[in-house]
Amino acid sequence: MTQPPGSGSGSAEERDEEVLVEQVAGAYRPRARDELRYHPAWHDLGHAARVKAYEIARAMRPIEAALDGEGLSSTARAVLARIEGR
Amino acid sequence: MMTMDLDAHIPAILSGDTRAFGRWMAGAEGTIRSSLRSFASVLDVESVLQEALLRVWQVAPRFVADGRPNGLLRLGIRIARNLAVSELRRTKSRPVPEEDLERALAMAEQVDLTESGPDPMLREVLARCHSQLPDKPRQAMTIRLAFEGGRTDDELATSIGMRLNTFLQNFTRARRMLAECLRKAGVSFEEGLES
Repeated sequence: MTQPPGSGSGSAEERDEEVLVEQVAGAYRPRARDELRYHPAWHDLGHAARVKAYEIARAMRPIEAALDGEGLSSTARAVLARIEGR
Repeated sequence: MMTMDLDAHIPAILSGDTRAFGRWMAGAEGTIRSSLRSFASVLDVESVLQEALLRVWQVAPRFVADGRPNGLLRLGIRIARNLAVSELRRTKSRPVPEEDLERALAMAEQVDLTESGPDPMLREVLARCHSQLPDKPRQAMTIRLAFEGGRTDDELATSIGMRLNTFLQNFTRARRMLAECLRKAGVSFEEGLES
């Protein structure tokens, strides 16, 4: 496969933001009892970057589910792990 | 493919079958996430969504069906919405229009929820696209999926001998390359995949 146009381009600042967005778009969240725990990188993002992280997550989860043997996304897997105490 | 009412999973969920709840989540997650879109700039939606799904599991034993399809999904949308609104109050963020909730609830009754999970053609094309990724991007994507949101990206990066930024840049490359491969195969996907 060839590299898509534009990947790896942009200023250092843009690339720094891109890695923060990628972290927030993932399903990892710190564990806590009965309270919401944000991804630490979420607080470092501006409004537009937060929406971008949301859109990436929305697009990635069906892909993850299609790559998973039981059809589960990383979000569903993370929730099951919490329910099952893993 | 048959359209199904996700409430079909309720008896197994009530018996404590977490895999049945997984199948329910596979059908419900996208709709609940979409119902939270208007909060995306002010709340960590992934965090709200995971907590809402956990609460659906906890309240499922008390769920009473109203005779309309996808009752547990509609309850899940309300739980997620209430959680998001309390979080807005706690963080003193701006309110979000009420129409979004109505739209999401209407969607829960109309959405095509398929019994067999992801489209088999999508599965096949994705498996091929994934296997064609260059080593490092594929490694980054594979390990993140394998650990199911249970490890920080820092931990994942260290486990495969990458620095955090390199790991995340490889993941971004993998995501964009998958999008390009899917496009070439004529498979549609959400815009965010290539952003």
